Amino acid sequence: MSELSTLARPYAEAVFKRALESNSAAEWSEMLAFLSVVIQDQEMSVTIANPKVSQQQLTELLLDICQDQLKEEGVNLVKLLVQNDRIILTPQISELYESYKAEHEGYVDVDVMSAYALSKEEQKKFASKLEKKLDKKVHITTSVDKSLIGGFLAKAGDTVIDGSIKGQLQQLAKKL
Amino acid sequence: MQLNPSEISDLIKKKIENFDVNVEAHTEGTVVSVTDGIVRVHGLSEAMQGEMLEFPGNSYGMALNLERDSVGVVMLGAYQHISEGDTVKCTGKILEVPVGEALLGRVVDGLGNAIDGKGAIEATETSPVEKIAPGVIARQSVDQPVQLGLKSIDSMIPVGRGQRELIIGDRQTGKTAIAIDAIINQKGTGVKCIYVAIGQKRSSIANVVRKLEEHDALAHTIIVVASASESAALQFIAPYTGCSMGEFFRDKGEDALIIYDDLTKQAWAYRQMSLLLRRPPGREAYPGDVFYIHSRLLERASRINAAEVEKLTDGKVKGKTGSLTALPIIETQGGDVSAFVPTNVISITDGQIFLESDLFNSGIRPAVNAGLSVSRVGGAAQTKIIKKLGGGIRLDLAQYRELAAFAQFASDLDESTRKQIERGQRVTELMKQDQYSPMSVAEMGVSLHAANAGFLDDLEVSKVRDFEAALQSYMKSEEADLMQKINDTGDYSDEIKKGIQAAIETFIKTSSW
Repeated sequence: MSELSTLARPYAEAVFKRALESNSAAEWSEMLAFLSVVIQDQEMSVTIANPKVSQQQLTELLLDICQDQLKEEGVNLVKLLVQNDRIILTPQISELYESYKAEHEGYVDVDVMSAYALSKEEQKKFASKLEKKLDKKVHITTSVDKSLIGGFLAKAGDTVIDGSIKGQLQQLAKKL
Repeated sequence: MQLNPSEISDLIKKKIENFDVNVEAHTEGTVVSVTDGIVRVHGLSEAMQGEMLEFPGNSYGMALNLERDSVGVVMLGAYQHISEGDTVKCTGKILEVPVGEALLGRVVDGLGNAIDGKGAIEATETSPVEKIAPGVIARQSVDQPVQLGLKSIDSMIPVGRGQRELIIGDRQTGKTAIAIDAIINQKGTGVKCIYVAIGQKRSSIANVVRKLEEHDALAHTIIVVASASESAALQFIAPYTGCSMGEFFRDKGEDALIIYDDLTKQAWAYRQMSLLLRRPPGREAYPGDVFYIHSRLLERASRINAAEVEKLTDGKVKGKTGSLTALPIIETQGGDVSAFVPTNVISITDGQIFLESDLFNSGIRPAVNAGLSVSRVGGAAQTKIIKKLGGGIRLDLAQYRELAAFAQFASDLDESTRKQIERGQRVTELMKQDQYSPMSVAEMGVSLHAANAGFLDDLEVSKVRDFEAALQSYMKSEEADLMQKINDTGDYSDEIKKGIQAAIETFIKTSSW
C-alpha cells in the first residue's frame, strides 16, 4: 500500500496541476472516482492481471466502459496509465488527488463515528467545533458504530480524536 | 493466582474516582506488512524517530525508519498476533524504562520488567533509554580507582571510576569471569553494579545469578537480560536500558559499574534489524552507523563533577561527584582484533584488557596479555601502594617476555639475564589468581611487595602460589592492623613498607608452606 502511494504520487501531482490549469478540479475528481470504481471491480482486476489481454485491448475495453464519463484528457490519462502498466494505481491516484484538492481548497475530510445517529443540528455544531480545533474548513461524513457505546470518534487523515466511551474504557484499563 | 498489592478494591476504587477523562487526539496508521519482527505502517505522519508505537494486544514497537509513505517499525517482543490492517497508535513518547534503587538485586528484561519471579518492580522513576551523554562542562577527570580485585589487572591495567575499559578475547578465555569477579569485589564499597547479558544462553545467565547470590553480591547488582531467544530489538536495546539504570546512580552522586556482555552480539542484533529494514549493508554487512551505536552508548559512561550532580538533584546532593564505569566485552574470532567491531570498540574505549586462549590453556588465569593490554587513563586513579609496586611488576614482565623467546635458543646465559628470566617466571606465576577470590588492596600490596623485594627469587616456581596463600593467611591472622591501615589509606609510606618487609621476614622464619 505504501509503495503504491509512492508510485501514484507523480501521476496524482500531474493530474492535479493540470486540473488547476484547466480549471476543472471537480470534473477530474469525478473522472478519477469513476475510474477507481471501474478498476476495483473484481472482474476488471482479473482482466487487468490477465497477460493474454494486450494493452491495446485493455485500453479499448476501459474506454468502452467509461464512454462519456471521461473527457479528452481523462482518456489520455487512461492511455498513459495502460501504456506504463500502472492502471492498477488509479484508486491511489484518486485518493492522493483528493488530498491535494482538499489541501488546496483548505478543508479536511472528517469521518465522524458515533454510537447514535447525529441530527442535522448536532452535525453543524460538531463541524464548527472541529473547524476551530483543526483550524481548517471541515467536510463531515457521519456513520453509526454501536461498539463505541457512547460519544464519538473523529478521524481526519492520520489524526484521530477519540471521545468515545470505548476509548475511555481502554484508557482506564491501561491505568489500572 | 497471586493477588497483586495494587489489586485491592479500595485502591482500584480510588483510581477510578480520580481517573481523568480527557478526549485524546492521536495519530493512527495501518499495518501494511509484517516480516520477521519488522512491521511497515502506512500513515503515522507525525511519528518521531525512536518513538514507541502502540499495537493491538498491548504490544509495542519502536519507529526506526521514517519514510515518505510508511514507517518501518521494530517490534519489541512478540509480533505473531499482528496482522495486516491493524491500527497502530502514536504514543508521543520515546522508550522509557524504570530506574532506581528498587531494581537492585533484581533480574529484568530489556524493557525493565522483572523476570526473576520476585514480583513487580516498585520503581517510582522512569528514564528514557536513549539519552545524550553529559557535556564537557559537566565532566571531571578520572582520579579514583575501581578495584577489580585481580592482581594482574589492578597492578598493570588499572581502571578508574568513569573509565571505559574493554575486555576483549576469544570465546572461553575468561572474559565473563573477570566481570563477575569485578562485581563481587564491589561488595561493601558502595559501587552499584549492572550486568547486561546480551544474546547469551539463559542457562549461563542463571549461572551468573547463582554465583553472585552465593558470593553475596546480588544485593548491589542489577541484571539486565536479553537472551538469545529474545527478539533482535530487545537485544539491541538492552545495553541502553542498563546504561539508563546506571546513570540514575551516577546522576545522584554515586558510583556505578556497568558490564556489557557482550557488544558483539548487540552489533549482530543491530545488523539483523538493519538488513530487515533494508538499510544498505557496509563492511561485514553491518550498517553504516554500527560505530555510532557503540560510541553513543560508551560515551554515557563518565564521571560528572559535583556541580552537575547538584544541578541534577536540585541541590539535594552537594559536593559529591558521580561516575559510571563501563566494562564492555567483545568476543573475537581466532584472536583477530582487526575485525570491524573489535577495532571500533578498541578505538572508542580508554584501553583494553586483552585475553588470550594460549595463555588460558597454559594455565595462566586470568589470561591477560600484559603486553597488548593498556589503560589510557587508569594510571591517574591507582592507589599509591599499587601504583608504586605495580610499576616494578610491569617492568619485570616486559623484560621477561623479551628475553624468554630468545632464551629458548641459548643454552648458557649470563647471570643477569638468567635472573631476569627467573624473576619473570615467578611474577607470571604470582599473577595467577583463582576465580571468585578477588583480593583487597592490602592483600595485593603484600603479594606485590614480596615479588618486588625478591622474596620469591629463592622459591621454586611451583611453590610460588603456595607461598602466597600461606603468606596471605599469616598476614590476615597476625598483621590485621597493618592490613586494615593499608586498606584504609592506600598509602605506601616508609612505615608501611617497613611493616610489610618485617612481617614477610618473620613469616619466612617461622612458617612453612
